[in-house]
Amino acid sequence: MKQIIKRVSHPKIFVYTVIWLMVLTVLGTLAQRNIGLYASQQKYFSSYIIWLGDIIPAPGGRITMIIMLVNLASMLFKHNIWKLKKAGIIIVHLGAVLLFIGSGVTAILSSEGNMVIDEGAQSNYVDDYHNMELAIINTSRENLDEYTVFDQPLLKKGNKLSHESLDFMIEIMEYYNNCKVQRRTEPADIKYKGMMKNFDLVELNLEKENTQNRSGIIYKIENSNLTNDGIYGLILGQSVTQTATINNQNFEFLFRKKRTYLPFSIELLDFKKVLHAGTGIAKSYSSEINLIENGIPRRVLIQMNEPLRHRGYTFFQSSFIEGPEGEATVLAAVKNYGRLFPYISSIVMSIGLFLHLLINLPKLLRKNIIAGKT
Amino acid sequence: MNFSFRFLTTIFLILPLLNAKGFDERHFPIQEGGRIKPLDTFARNQLLAFYGKRSVKHEGLSAMDWIFNLILDPEKGQEVTKVFNIRNPEVVASLGLAWTNNDHKYVFNEVFSGLQAQFGLISEIHSKPDETRISFERQLLEIYFNATRFREIAYSLSCMVPAVIVNDPVLTEKLNAIPGKRVSYAHLIKYIPSISEIYKNMMEKPEEEWSNTEKELIKILLELQKISSNETAQALKLIPPSHLDKTGTWLSPWELMDGRSHEPHQDKILIALEKYLAGRFEGDKNKMMSAIEDYREGILSIPNAKPDLYLLKKETWVNEANLFYTSVAFYLLAFILLGFSWMLQPKRLKIISYGSLILGLVYHTYGIYLRMVIMGRPPVSTLYETVIFVGFTVVVFSVVIEYFRRDGLGLFIGSVSGTIFHYISFGYAADGDTLGMLVAVLNSNFWLATHVTTMTLGYGASLVAGFIGHLYLIQTIREPHNKSGLKGIYNNMFGITLIALFFTLFGTILGGIWADQSWGRFWGWDPKENGALLIVLWQLMMVHMRLTGLAKPAGFALGMIMNNIIVVIAWFGVNLLNVGLHSYGFTSGVALNLALFTVLELITGFGTYYWVQSRKERLIV
Repeated sequence: MKQIIKRVSHPKIFVYTVIWLMVLTVLGTLAQRNIGLYASQQKYFSSYIIWLGDIIPAPGGRITMIIMLVNLASMLFKHNIWKLKKAGIIIVHLGAVLLFIGSGVTAILSSEGNMVIDEGAQSNYVDDYHNMELAIINTSRENLDEYTVFDQPLLKKGNKLSHESLDFMIEIMEYYNNCKVQRRTEPADIKYKGMMKNFDLVELNLEKENTQNRSGIIYKIENSNLTNDGIYGLILGQSVTQTATINNQNFEFLFRKKRTYLPFSIELLDFKKVLHAGTGIAKSYSSEINLIENGIPRRVLIQMNEPLRHRGYTFFQSSFIEGPEGEATVLAAVKNYGRLFPYISSIVMSIGLFLHLLINLPKLLRKNIIAGKT
Repeated sequence: MNFSFRFLTTIFLILPLLNAKGFDERHFPIQEGGRIKPLDTFARNQLLAFYGKRSVKHEGLSAMDWIFNLILDPEKGQEVTKVFNIRNPEVVASLGLAWTNNDHKYVFNEVFSGLQAQFGLISEIHSKPDETRISFERQLLEIYFNATRFREIAYSLSCMVPAVIVNDPVLTEKLNAIPGKRVSYAHLIKYIPSISEIYKNMMEKPEEEWSNTEKELIKILLELQKISSNETAQALKLIPPSHLDKTGTWLSPWELMDGRSHEPHQDKILIALEKYLAGRFEGDKNKMMSAIEDYREGILSIPNAKPDLYLLKKETWVNEANLFYTSVAFYLLAFILLGFSWMLQPKRLKIISYGSLILGLVYHTYGIYLRMVIMGRPPVSTLYETVIFVGFTVVVFSVVIEYFRRDGLGLFIGSVSGTIFHYISFGYAADGDTLGMLVAVLNSNFWLATHVTTMTLGYGASLVAGFIGHLYLIQTIREPHNKSGLKGIYNNMFGITLIALFFTLFGTILGGIWADQSWGRFWGWDPKENGALLIVLWQLMMVHMRLTGLAKPAGFALGMIMNNIIVVIAWFGVNLLNVGLHSYGFTSGVALNLALFTVLELITGFGTYYWVQSRKERLIV
């Protein structure tokens, strides 16, 4: 056991992984020029394996950091480390372990998205930044809409989707991360329905800024009836809703950013933008909102550097939209169970390093024994 | 020590005394770039943009003289004074100017006619997104904007300047003017209602029957009309807003000429300004003096959000005092004295050199402190300020090292790098020394104070460690047998590295916390964050390599020299990656300097390292 700990906790492992992490950081930073922040983050840092030049597999950011964590944590089990002289060192490493655990929790459990609210309107859901969903709504019943939602991971080309609430099958024909609508030059085959009768979706190269990508989906409805079986298409932000009547039930098909519903809603009362006097430089943005929970509104002011924290969610003033009909605020909404880790770990690490400096600096700064430069 | 202590106390006693001066035209408050500043700063910043310096050096004109000359006689200012400094031969050629012109300085009129000829090109450049513009296009566009602003400044007070001569006795009485003396547009406009009778009569008669009075009146009216064609020139926001205003936006005199009613404080300032300009035009010192007094009273009568006269004076004093120039002079002196101390008299000269370094540091600190007071925000927020502050940090560390060692090592590091950083900052002054305002997300004093300051302290400590790395390798070559001396330097280097690690690590995490506070994410792998991370990782690697024996002392020194490259790239180079986001307008120069620095560090670092290694082998053999 001792031997294993000694091996696993050897600082040389740290040296090599830290070198590799630096390589990843440099590659990941340079790649942002070409593929944008989100894609490079996915490729280099949030991945377990990366493919260098698309051929050679190498450890990705996650594996590298897991190795570092194991290496660091096992170091704390070494016997010869628990000495007063090394108190600072122990505390620093403890802090680092916390930092890694926190980033792991964040990477796995956090979710982020945004809410767009017009002045005077309210909203109770968060749009995911990156993930889409296909929502099928049964609107036949008078007082209740029945939602069936398929998440992003299911929306892969070739996947067949079915659910007990639906008496038909859906097959994903195409999934585009970025595409555009193009008018057909010649009449389409009879199997194309809805928008696809007159238009087609054309795949585009990915934009650097992931939020500028417009995802689209082409799917086939099977086993419903002759009039409705066929190929349909949907694109993000489509203005006309796709509907179909199958077995006397009315359905709406929506392709949209993945929605997470909140147990409360937010109403935007007023959005304010303050400029530095006599310039076009923004001094501050703020949204005056009502946080409505169980029908009871509460006034809150959200502004730069002063977010609203409620029920594990944090809402930040992120952006705004100025249109002819008025202003809308864009709030970033984040749920992160790991958000306290960096705070604690930074305190722990600073204390440790400071202690270490206190113990060692006087010795290191002295000129040491006679003789010197001159 | 005693000696330098006395130096310190005297300086702190003298500095505030130098400050106590009366109010004058340099202190006239003006709003620009989101804050109220003295006219002196405004004039200097404008010159800095047009001319590249804060005074018209080749004509011996101060910024204030230049701006008043231009305002009092715009025609001459546009025809004669060479204030457009254009250093790019391509731009000069495209404007049809002569490159052979000895110092590449041009008058407004020639630049303007060149711009008019290129108008098609300029509007095309203007419609392009900034990141697609090449440096020639950026510069041409900048000159276009500069020329527009120059013209606006030249005519922004044309309603206040003495311009129209009234001779006719009837008119002089009605218009409250002195015969043969010029009066301003603003003045005449005020009395226009009193001559409406004459005007009405005149209009009913054919032109041949007009009296001399009437003829002169029509001449005056035509002149007024001509002057009013400048009413869009509103660059000088000298007049405080009405007491009902909520935005805090100041106005230019021309904006008040549109017939709106003036509030008492606005009127007081307008009249005092007019009087001052008349006094200056006539060369009447007493009139100017009394106008300045009226102006001061006008400002004191502002009902709300009164500008702080003390701060205005202070800022003007800072402009004049050039604290950082004094500081660099002392650093240079410290270096020279240190050099002499090696050759001549080690002990005493070294103490004087130490005193000089500390004095330079005092000026440096005082300069940073005054910037903080004027802006009301922490010391580091623009790239220019980081240079100033890193320089400060490096000197502080050097002073501490010297205190512990007392052998000149700290003096050497401090005086050399202090001087270098000041010179770099002078180069950046045109881009950042204008005391501008910050965008919303940066506008948070707490986080600026903690994160950015900690980070810059880390940069400073890292660079000191790298500097010692160089010295360590050089000393190893010079005196390979002085084991204990080398060990001392090595320990210093390691100690400073630990300090650097403390600040960079803590600063980076603080940055993450700031990001978490304002954007809801702790870490986003964006270039600036990655740059900071690289420094931390590199230093962690060096510390652990030392621990495992992967790096021997010489290797550690080399590692810290390489760390310099990483620091400088994280500091400046990251801005090169996404030009669109952080365009400071000087990126091509930065790229070249970065490359030069990197090559220099690689050559000197590896050169001395391999020299040391080869020596060692020889010693063993």
